[in-house]
Amino acid sequence: MQNLSELLYSPYFGVIATIFAYQAGVSIQKKVKHPLANPILIAVLLICTLLVIMDIPLEAYQEGGNLIYLFLAPATAALAVPIYKNWQILRLNWKPIIAGTMAGSFSSIVIVFALCKLFKVEESLTLSLLSKSVTTPIAVGITEQLGGIVPIAIAAVIFSGITGNIMAPFLVKVFRVEDPVAQGIGIGTASHAIGTTRAITMGELQGAMSGLAIGLSGLWTVFWTFLFSVWIG
Amino acid sequence: MKILMQLAIILLICFLGEVIAAVLPFPFPASVISMLLVLTLLLWGPLKIYHIQKQADFLLDNMGFFFVPPTVAILGYLGYMQGKIVIVLFICFITVITTFAVTSWTVTAMMKYEIRRKERKRHAESE
Repeated sequence: MQNLSELLYSPYFGVIATIFAYQAGVSIQKKVKHPLANPILIAVLLICTLLVIMDIPLEAYQEGGNLIYLFLAPATAALAVPIYKNWQILRLNWKPIIAGTMAGSFSSIVIVFALCKLFKVEESLTLSLLSKSVTTPIAVGITEQLGGIVPIAIAAVIFSGITGNIMAPFLVKVFRVEDPVAQGIGIGTASHAIGTTRAITMGELQGAMSGLAIGLSGLWTVFWTFLFSVWIG
Repeated sequence: MKILMQLAIILLICFLGEVIAAVLPFPFPASVISMLLVLTLLLWGPLKIYHIQKQADFLLDNMGFFFVPPTVAILGYLGYMQGKIVIVLFICFITVITTFAVTSWTVTAMMKYEIRRKERKRHAESE
């Protein structure tokens, strides 16, 4: 008989484990309704626990995981759909929206870089954090190109999203942002899709603008990190 | 349109994105090129929203699912992250606040500027 542990290297294992873990995460989020109950976070914790307790090698899981990973690029491409749907609002307010996402994504990169220098963070980690404000698929693309560590970049992206999700109503008050377009663009630029789920609860326009800002700030971040990589050589 | 065909269209655009990324003289994430391709094709006209709507909705609704495997790979970096987690979380936390402030203030300032500019224009025309 074949060694049973070899069966774990079947791609089915990784795919099934991920679907079940993610579905568990979605159900928990529906019940708890707290941003910390993020389905990605829950699924990752569940799978990591399973791998560690059962002593399953990461490579075995990744056989199936890589199949799912294949769909990251199509998911990014799909982000064009919300931009297309909000094209009219974008056209009417294109100057403030383009300027806001441009300035916001620039400030994010500069401040991350400055803080990393301040705390003497090593380069590989700095490169993994530069894309932390943008949506995961774009952050993965940027981090791969910069030579950062992709799993750390994703963790930073998710943590930023959760922070933005929790703090959005508070930030709007503290910084006295009254215009719904400005609120939405700010939330989307600072905390991408996870923040957007909170923006939707603040108003339809805020939600739409936050969704629009995900793609736009992602584009700007690609541009800024490219200039940055030329600059540091 | 059949869901299989919708998937084929999106995958084809993603493949095109990779081709373009390979040809470009500077590094640019292929997935972002694909996003721009979808947007351009939708605005320009050859691609209609109903050609990809169902598949795009599926991808957008389940977006988080696709990030689980690459995040699980963090298991391989637990040693590397030791002693750095607090700093990383702190940097993320601070920049969420600063990015929100810079972005929303820029949007607000630009809107006020645009309104003033239009008013000045109207004044100039009426005089």
